[in-house]
Amino acid sequence: MLWVDKYRPKTLDKVTVHDQVAQNLRKLVSEQDCPHLLFYGPSGSGKKTLILALIKQMFGAGAEKVKMENKTWKIDTGTRTLEIELAMLSSAHHVEMNPSDAGFQDRYVVQEVIKEMAKNRPIDAKGKRAFKVLVLNEVDKLSREAQHSLRRTMEKYSASCRLILCCNSSSKVTEAVRSRCLNVRVNAPSEDQIVQVLEIIGKKENLHLPAGFAARIAAQSNRNLRRAILFFETCKVQQYPFASNQVAPPLDWEQYVSEIATDILTEQSPKRLYAVRQKFYELLVNCIPPESILKKLLTELLKKLDADLKHEICHWAAHYALCMQEHKMRLGSKAIFHLEAFVAKFMSIYKEFLVATFG
Amino acid sequence: MSSDIRKWFMKTQDKGGASGAVKPSGPAAAEKKKPVLSIPEKKQAPPSLPFSFGQCVPCSNQWGARIFVLIKASCDHDPSARRKTSKYFGSKTEKDSDVEMADATAGKSTEKNAAKRKLQKGSNELKDDTKPLPAKKMSKDDEDDNDDFVSPSKKKTPVKPPPSKKPKVESNVEAPGRTTGTDDGEEEDKMDEDAKTPSKGAGRGRGRGGRGGAAPGGRGRGGGGRGFMNFGERKDPPHKGEKEVPEGAPDCLSGLTFVISGTLDSLEREEATDLIKRYGGRVTGSISKKTSYLLADEDIGGVKSNKAKDLGVPFLTEDGLFDLIRKSKPAKAPVDGHQSSNGSEKLQKLQTKSSPAKVEKRAEASPVGKSFASKSNVANASAENRKAKNIDRGSMQWTEKYRPKVPNDIVGNQSMVKQLHDWLKSWDTQFLHSGQKGKGKKQADNGAKKAVLLSGPPGIGKTTTAKVVSQMLGLQAIEVNASDSRGKADSKIEKGVGGSTSNSVKELISNATLNYSDNRLKHPKAVLIMDEVDGMSAGDRGGVADLIASIKISKIPIICICNDRYSQKLKSLVNYCLMLNFRKPTKQQMSKRLMEIAKKEGIQAQENAMEELAERVHGDIRMALNHLQYMSLSQSVVKYDDIRERLNSSAKDEDISPFTAVDKLFGFNGGRLRMDERIDFGMSDPDLVPLIIQENYINYRPNTIGKDESGVKRMNALARAAESIADGDLVNVQIRRYRQWQLSQAACFASSIVPAAFMHGNREILEAGERNFNRFGGWLGKYSTTNKNRRLLEDAHSHILASQQANLDRETLRLDYLTLLLRQLTDPLKTMPKDEAVQKVVEFMDTYSLSQEDFDTIVEISKFKGHPSPMDGIQPAVKSALTKAYKQGSSSRVVRAADLINIPGMKKPLKKRVAAILEPVEESLADENGVASAEADEEDSSDTENNDELVPSDSMPKLDLQSDKKKGIQVQLDLKSNGNGSSGKKTPASRSRAAPGSGGKSAGGSAGKRKR
Repeated sequence: MLWVDKYRPKTLDKVTVHDQVAQNLRKLVSEQDCPHLLFYGPSGSGKKTLILALIKQMFGAGAEKVKMENKTWKIDTGTRTLEIELAMLSSAHHVEMNPSDAGFQDRYVVQEVIKEMAKNRPIDAKGKRAFKVLVLNEVDKLSREAQHSLRRTMEKYSASCRLILCCNSSSKVTEAVRSRCLNVRVNAPSEDQIVQVLEIIGKKENLHLPAGFAARIAAQSNRNLRRAILFFETCKVQQYPFASNQVAPPLDWEQYVSEIATDILTEQSPKRLYAVRQKFYELLVNCIPPESILKKLLTELLKKLDADLKHEICHWAAHYALCMQEHKMRLGSKAIFHLEAFVAKFMSIYKEFLVATFG
Repeated sequence: MSSDIRKWFMKTQDKGGASGAVKPSGPAAAEKKKPVLSIPEKKQAPPSLPFSFGQCVPCSNQWGARIFVLIKASCDHDPSARRKTSKYFGSKTEKDSDVEMADATAGKSTEKNAAKRKLQKGSNELKDDTKPLPAKKMSKDDEDDNDDFVSPSKKKTPVKPPPSKKPKVESNVEAPGRTTGTDDGEEEDKMDEDAKTPSKGAGRGRGRGGRGGAAPGGRGRGGGGRGFMNFGERKDPPHKGEKEVPEGAPDCLSGLTFVISGTLDSLEREEATDLIKRYGGRVTGSISKKTSYLLADEDIGGVKSNKAKDLGVPFLTEDGLFDLIRKSKPAKAPVDGHQSSNGSEKLQKLQTKSSPAKVEKRAEASPVGKSFASKSNVANASAENRKAKNIDRGSMQWTEKYRPKVPNDIVGNQSMVKQLHDWLKSWDTQFLHSGQKGKGKKQADNGAKKAVLLSGPPGIGKTTTAKVVSQMLGLQAIEVNASDSRGKADSKIEKGVGGSTSNSVKELISNATLNYSDNRLKHPKAVLIMDEVDGMSAGDRGGVADLIASIKISKIPIICICNDRYSQKLKSLVNYCLMLNFRKPTKQQMSKRLMEIAKKEGIQAQENAMEELAERVHGDIRMALNHLQYMSLSQSVVKYDDIRERLNSSAKDEDISPFTAVDKLFGFNGGRLRMDERIDFGMSDPDLVPLIIQENYINYRPNTIGKDESGVKRMNALARAAESIADGDLVNVQIRRYRQWQLSQAACFASSIVPAAFMHGNREILEAGERNFNRFGGWLGKYSTTNKNRRLLEDAHSHILASQQANLDRETLRLDYLTLLLRQLTDPLKTMPKDEAVQKVVEFMDTYSLSQEDFDTIVEISKFKGHPSPMDGIQPAVKSALTKAYKQGSSSRVVRAADLINIPGMKKPLKKRVAAILEPVEESLADENGVASAEADEEDSSDTENNDELVPSDSMPKLDLQSDKKKGIQVQLDLKSNGNGSSGKKTPASRSRAAPGSGGKSAGGSAGKRKR
C-alpha cells in the first residue's frame, strides 16, 4: 500500500495538519445537528481526509464499509430518456459521488439522482443519526444549472439528508449554494507542516532521512501534502538509503510540459508550433487535463520571461484557461485549439519582442 | 442554323424508322398510331410533318435547305415580331390584333382551321395597314384558299420535287428583289459561311503558319520546364486587365473549337473561356482533330502543345483571338443584324410578317407549282400551329407540354427504355402463362424479375419513360405516387373493397387476371407504376413490405421508381426487381432537345447557351425546361451570357468535398473569393472544414504579409488565425450545447473563413517526407483515443476505489499518483530478481485491486512520444512470468469490482462498465492461497450479504438480486449449476456471491458465474 494511503488519518483525533479544523468539526458533530458543509481548498491539503474522518466520527466504523457501484440511472426528461452512468461509493450511512462526471448532463444527476437519494430517509432509525450524508465531490465543476438545482434540494430535504460538498475553489460555487453551507476552508499545509508529516512517516517506516531532505521534498511539492508524500515514496523506491542531495524525479507529465516550454522558448516558427501541437496531443491523449497543462506551461514560461512580457502573457493564459474549463460553463470543447492559440500567441509576442530587442 | 433544322426534321423522321426498328413488327404500327391519336388535336401537324417534309430533305441540296430555313426563320420570329409590329402602329391595330389573337387562342383548340384563318386574317390586316408590299394584298385570298384545301390533301401524298428544279425555285424566290424574306435567307447563308470559313479555310492557313513559327520557339524554351508541383498554381496573366476586350459580332466564333493552354497575356483562363463561349465558340479540355485553335501565348511544351503539333492544330495567341473577334464586328454587323442590332430587328419584323405569304405566293406562281406550294403550305400550317402554341404560352408548363410522347423522344437512356420495353412485353408470357403451365417454366426463367425498379436522379425522365413505354404497349398505366397514402393494406378488408389506395392497389393487382381473361376488350391490361418508392416514409407504414408482397402475387407488371436505389428502405425491394439505372443525359443530348423546344416556343437560343444550361442543371431536364420557360417570359433571345448570369445564383447545389473547400479557401487566390463563396465553402461541411483548416493552417505561408525576413509577420498572422479558430470553438459550443443554430454562420466565419483569410497562400511542408497536401484533421482521432484512455483510466480508478485503500478522484490519480504507481509496478521488474519482483508486483496490484488491464492502462497512458517507454528494460520473460503469476493468483484473489470476475469461456466480462455491486469484504483481506482463509473470507462476505439484502434459497440455481436503490441495476448471478457435485463446493448457492473464494476452493475455478 502506498504511504499516502497508509498514513492517512482515519479519525478526527489523529489529524495532525489541520488539527484546529478537526477539533471544530468534532464539536460540531457531537452537538448532534450538523449543517451542510462545504470544504474548499487546494488539492492535497486534506479535504477528503477530513471528510472521511468526519463521517467516521458521525456514524462509527460502519461508515468505513463502503462499496463501489457503477449505477445506470434512467432519467426521463420529458422528451427523451437519458441514461446516466455514475460511479458511487456508498456505505449504509453515506453516499459519495462525483456528479460532474456526468458532463453536461450533471443537471439531471442533481435533479433526479440526488433528490431521489435525499428524499429517502434512512431505514435504520435506531442509529443515532436520523439523516444520511451525501458527499459531492468537485462541486466547482458542476454547471451553473446543476448548482441552481442543488440549492432547493438542500433546503427541502435537510431533515433527512446532509450534503457535504467538496471543491477546490469556492468562487466557482454559486453564492446561493455557499450561503446554505458551513464553509470550511482547508488551507494548503505549510512547508514546515509537510516536513513534520514526512518525518513522522519516515520514523514509522524506519527510514533515515538526511538533513534537509524532507524540506527539499516539501519545497518541490508546492505545498501539496499528498504530492509530498508521493514524492517521498518515489525517492524511497528510486534509491535507499537516501543520498544527501537527492531530489524526487519530476512527474512524468510535468516533465513533458517543461520540455514543451523549452521548445517554445528556443524557436518560434510554424514548424515548432506544429511540433508543439503534436506534443499537446500526447498529453491530452494521456488524460492530462488541459487546464493543468496550461497552468504548468505558463509557470515554466514565466520562469524565463522578461518582466515586460509577463503581464501580457498571463493575460492570454487566463483568457485561454477560461475558454478551456472543462465542465462548468464550458466555453470551449476542443482544448487543443485553445492551447495552440495560446502558444501561437506567445510565439508571436515573444518573437516580436526578440526581434525588437536584439534585431 | 440550317443544318439544325434539317436535323430536326430528320430526327422526326428517324424517329418513325427507329421506333419501328426497336419493335419487331406488330406493335410498331400500333405504336405509330397510338400516340398520335391520344394527343389533342392541335398537335396533329407536327407529327405529320415528317411524312411530307422529311422525305424530301435528304435528297435536297443546300438550296433546298435554305428555303426551309427561310420558312423556319420566319416562323421563329413570329411572336416577337408580332409584338413589336403592334407597337409601331396605332393603338387600334394593336387592339385589333390582340383581339384576333385572343380569338385565335379560344378557337384553336376546338376548330383548327377557323383559328388558322382568323389568325391569318389578323396578320394580313396588319399588313394591310402597314402596306409593306403591294403584292401581298393580292395573295391574301389565294393563300387562305390554299390553306384550306391544300394542306389536308397534300399532306397525305408527299411529293418529291426533283432536285434539278431547286435552283429555279430559289431564284424565283429571290427574284422579286432584295427586300424581305430573301435577306433573311442570305443572312443565314452568310452566317453559315461565317461559321465555316474561318475554321476551315483561314484556320488551316493559319495553322500552317502557326506550326512553322511556334514549334521551334517552343522547343527552344525547353518543354516540361515547369515542375509538377507548381502545375496547379498557374501564374497570373502578366498584363492582367490591361488589354481591352474587343466586342465582336455575336456568334462570330461559332463552329470553332478552342483549347486553352498555359497562361494568357491578359486574360484569366476563365475569362477567356467566357469570351469564347459568349461568341459562340466551344472550349474543350484536350486537343482532338476537331480542335480549331490552340489558344496559347507561350509554348510551354506541355502535352497540349505537343499534341497540337502532331495533329496540325494551329496556334492562336490571345491577340489573335481578339483580332478574330474584332474583325467580325465592323464588317458583318449589318448582315448579322437580326441578332445584334435593333435596326435589323425592325427590318426583320417586316420580313417575318410577310414572308410566309410571300413565299407561298411566289411558289404558286412558279413553274414548280404544286409540289412546292404544298410544301410551303405545310410549312405554313406548322407555322400557324406554332403561332397558336406561342399564344398558348404560359397556360401549360413546358415540362408537361413537352413531355415525350414516344419512347424515342426520351433524351438519353435509350438502352434502359428498350430494356423496360422488352421486359414489359415479355411479362405476360413469362409470368401469367407460366403460372398456368406450372413451375417448370418458371424455373427456366429464373433470372426474370416480376417487377422493375427504375432509379436515377430527378428530372431525367423515369416516370415519363414508364408511362410512355406502357402507353406504347397499350397498357393502362395506373400511377400511385407519394401523394397517395401507401401504407400497408388493411388486412381486415381482404377483398380490397376499402377506400385506401393500398387496398385498391391490392385489388387491382390480384384481380387483373379476371380483367385480362374475361373481357379483354373492355379493360385494357394494366400496369402499376409505383412512383417515388423511396419516399415511402412514416406515413406509409409497412409500405415496402406490402409492395413486395404485392409483387409476389401480382398479376400485372409493376414498375417501381426511385431516386436512390441504395436507399436503406429499398434494400429488401431490390431483390425482387430488375434494376434499371438511369443516367444523366449528356449535355449535348440535352442541348439538342432544349434547342428543339426553344425553337418550338419561338425562342432564339444559342446552342452554347443551351449546353451551358444543361450543364448548370446537372442533367435535370425538368429543371432546365423550367428555367427556359421562365426566361422565355422576359426575353425571346437566350444567349450564353443570360444563362450564365441567371443561373449563377440558381444553379443546382453540388456537393464539394471538404478538402476541395479547404483547398480553395487556402488557395493562392483565396483572397479573391467573394464572401458568399467563402461562406459556401465553409458551410459545405461545417464540421469537417474547420477541423481540416485547423490541422493545416500552420502549413501555409500567407501571401498577404509581403516581405517577412524575420518571420514575425507570419507568426503574427498565425497567432491571429489560431485565436480565431479558438473563438470558433467557443461559438461552436454555443451552437451545440445551447442549440443556438443561428450562430452557425458566425462559427463558420470564425473557424474557417478568418483563418483562411489570414493564412491563404502557398502550402509548404513542415516535416520531412510529408506530402504537400492538406492533412485530414487529426482532432477526431486524438479525441477518440483520449476518450478511450479516459475510459480505461476510469476503470482503473474504480478498481482502486473499490479496493478501499484510497479515496481519490480521477484527476488526482492521473496527475499525482500515476508516476509512483508506475514505478511501483515496473521498477521491481527491472531491478529485482524475477520471482521476487513478480511476487511483489502482484501483491501490489492486489492491494489496489488492479487488474492486468489496469497495469497495461497505466503503462499506456504514461507513454510520451520522445520519452523512453516505461516498459523498456523489462525482459519479456519477466513480463510473461508476471502475467502467469497474476493468472494463478486470480483464483484466490478477493475480487472487489464486478468486472474483475472472470467468466470461464468468455474473454471479457459481459458489460464492463456496468459493474455489479460487490459487498465489501471484512477486515481480513487475506490473499493467501490457503483454502482455509479463503473459506473464512467467503463465509464472511456471504454472511454480510445475507444480512443485508438477500433471501437466497438453497437449491435455486439462479439468484436474482435487486439492489436496494430504486433505480439500481439488477445483478443476476446465475450459477451455472455444476451444483453440489461436480465442483465439490460445500456451499452451493447461498454462498455464490463470494464467488472468487469458492472458485479458488473448487481448484479448477470452474464455478460458472454469469453477470448480467
